[in-house]
Amino acid sequence: MYRYIFKRMIFTAITLFAVFALTFFLMNVIPGGTSEMILKHTFIGLEESATQEQMVQVSARYNLNDPLYIQFIDWLKRGIFEGDLGMSFVYHKPVLDLLLLRLPATIILALSSMFIAVVGGVSLGIYAALKENKTADHLLRFLTLFGVSMPGFWVALVLILIFSVYLKMVPVAGYGSIENLVLPAFALSIHSLASIMRITRTSMLETLGQDYIKFATAKGLPVNRIISRHALKNAMLPVVTVLGFQMGAMLGGSVIIETVFAWPGIGSLLVNSIFARDLYVVQACIIVIVFLFLIVNFIVDLVYIYLDPRIRYG
Amino acid sequence: MKNKILSILLVMSILAVPVLMSGCTDSSQSIDSDNNNTGESSSEQTLVLGEMWDIENIDPASAGTVICEKAAVTETLVAANPDFSLEPGLAITWKQVDNLTWRFDLRQDVKFHDGSMMTAEDVKFSLERTMNENPRVKSMSAIDSIKVIDDHTLEIKTTETNPILAGVMHYPDTSIISESSLDENGNFVKPVGTGPYSFESFNEQTRVLTVVKNKNWWGGSVGLDKMVLKGMPDPNTRAMAIENGELDFTVDVPYSETDRIDAIEGINVEKYSTPRVYTMDTNLEDEALSDERVRKAISYAINRDDIVEHVLYNVGSPAAGPFLPSMTWANKDLKPYEQDIDKAEELLSQAGWTDTDGDGIRDKDGKSLEFELLTYAARPGLPPMSETIAAQLKDIGISVSPQVLEWGAISDKRESGNWDLVLAAYNIAMVPDPFYVLNNWYTTDGPDNTPGYSNAEVDSLVEEAKYIRDLDKRYEKFNQVEEIVYEEQPKILIAYYGCAIVKKDSVKNYVFDPTAHDYRVNAGMYIEK
Repeated sequence: MYRYIFKRMIFTAITLFAVFALTFFLMNVIPGGTSEMILKHTFIGLEESATQEQMVQVSARYNLNDPLYIQFIDWLKRGIFEGDLGMSFVYHKPVLDLLLLRLPATIILALSSMFIAVVGGVSLGIYAALKENKTADHLLRFLTLFGVSMPGFWVALVLILIFSVYLKMVPVAGYGSIENLVLPAFALSIHSLASIMRITRTSMLETLGQDYIKFATAKGLPVNRIISRHALKNAMLPVVTVLGFQMGAMLGGSVIIETVFAWPGIGSLLVNSIFARDLYVVQACIIVIVFLFLIVNFIVDLVYIYLDPRIRYG
Repeated sequence: MKNKILSILLVMSILAVPVLMSGCTDSSQSIDSDNNNTGESSSEQTLVLGEMWDIENIDPASAGTVICEKAAVTETLVAANPDFSLEPGLAITWKQVDNLTWRFDLRQDVKFHDGSMMTAEDVKFSLERTMNENPRVKSMSAIDSIKVIDDHTLEIKTTETNPILAGVMHYPDTSIISESSLDENGNFVKPVGTGPYSFESFNEQTRVLTVVKNKNWWGGSVGLDKMVLKGMPDPNTRAMAIENGELDFTVDVPYSETDRIDAIEGINVEKYSTPRVYTMDTNLEDEALSDERVRKAISYAINRDDIVEHVLYNVGSPAAGPFLPSMTWANKDLKPYEQDIDKAEELLSQAGWTDTDGDGIRDKDGKSLEFELLTYAARPGLPPMSETIAAQLKDIGISVSPQVLEWGAISDKRESGNWDLVLAAYNIAMVPDPFYVLNNWYTTDGPDNTPGYSNAEVDSLVEEAKYIRDLDKRYEKFNQVEEIVYEEQPKILIAYYGCAIVKKDSVKNYVFDPTAHDYRVNAGMYIEK
């Protein structure tokens, strides 16, 4: 077991390194010179021209003139040995500080969304499976199709319109209290909730068709006992698989939700930094997001063992 | 046993959410006033302002538009009137003593927010710091050295003749801060300025900036007790937030929403033209575009009134020359090109472009008259405008394919010469002086002369005007330049950019300042209960 965990750690480290190198390469290859874009984003405005001397001043300040591989190694050395992730060109703050400020917001959002998606998706999925082919089932399947197809920002704006502007139940945007969390978490969860519901329903139907379930029914067990004691764990395997990827989708989808709701998280930080070519921030954000994704999937793999004792890792 | 673990985990995760949330609001470094405060306390007038960009930092040397213009915490040496003529700010008078020397006389009654009086030493410190931090101010001002003559007089020497130095001192990044804004190590901590509002707090996490009334402001009484500035980058969110009452003041809701929101009781929308103009750059290296008749035909084919009404929803107005007619130096004889399809078609035929193969697109010597029109999405009016222009040009037989790219990509294409038309929204009053724009856009080596335009008469007019100190004579030269480029249309100007100010009816005495970059908050604004 411990050997397995150790192997996963190595694997995680290698993945992170590969992602880091790829990001570094990409950021320097996308159109628009780096020092020029930094200037335009921070000092001079998008449409203005950058003079040679301005670009020289910025390049010198951030060591952008060194050959790429030197910048790369330099960043690695400082990051690993000194814990210094560099400075943000836009915010004039150390990248580490920025991350620590913005990460909690995204984690709260992602966790709450995940929670809503899982609890909602699984329960609705079970309900739909039990009411197979009845009206409730059809209605739920239609709604989930809708939920999966609608774009995130549209859903977010509609939710704001209904619950904030018309019903005045929650504030429109911002960050600071539970009220601010409700709409963004719900908006972000809809895609995943729909997916999870469908998979739960399918998986549950398949499980319920098994012989041992028939035996339990014949034994006289009440329905909720059958579900919670016998069917659930087996039905959850495909759902848990999907959860890992849903987390990734959630971290990605959080960008739009964060912009719409003015939620100060990593997603919007990442996108703004890409536009501004804020190199170090982009690197750090991407590594954090990838790391979160890998951790979640790792936890998912461990949960398998709990769900199905037949599974063993070498 | 395993079910128990599951249910315990479930309960813990439900409890974790509020715990994590409350943990976060405490981790910020400063007081965070109640975000959902729509009903202010009876004695205190607090205005909640929804800003259109994220507030990234609070150092006026780079975030001047926020700290100086929107939060009104710092002020500049020079101020401007709505017609862009200069007037005293923190400096009472200024004079260009010789080609390279300027003298500024400062007000004597200005106090910083930390209680100290503002002297020439403070101004010198502040300006030198800005030039160090901000490459743009450094190159625009071309300052070589600053000398303190006495407590309220400064002598500034420039590296080359710079007729616009006084105008550069209007730029918000040059606003004056006290040395107490920095800590012992010289790092910036908070902006200690001279303006009507003083800095109270900036929540690093939520990026909410709070400022309070400066009771010792030299300019007189200040309307509000407190202002809370929140960055909300999405225009739809801003619109709904003010509809909901969460904001008292915001700008630039989606253009299509402006009339609907204005009609709501309790909210009003005011539309102003700002010193930015939607422009179509033409690549003069292209064979077709190098012909003046083709460019004029394009300009005649475009229906500017239509665009302003249906694409911009009247947030903006049709453009004639590069300057707003309200600007004191603008050539007021020029009028926007009115749509004239017949004239456009005639010009194209004269230039040799006719539809010989009957496919609806004109051609000449076997080549079709077709262009790629590039634009970017950062300014919301641009993509729909480019499509409208493409449709209008199709009517006279020019095929235009609009493409929306990121600005970096457009930059690269321009550099490699691989472009025909670019639609962009350029600022025309970075500093309140016409020299900057006319020099950069229309002189042969101008840095923003993307079309590659070269006209010897324009070059000499601009060069001569550089040394003329009498404003009227100076502007006369510039008017001539405007006339020439109006005829030759290397840059086809479409419309002036607009700004929609959206505020509650209870917000009184707001005065729009077109010389600001986006908008400015004035000290006299107050809330009436």
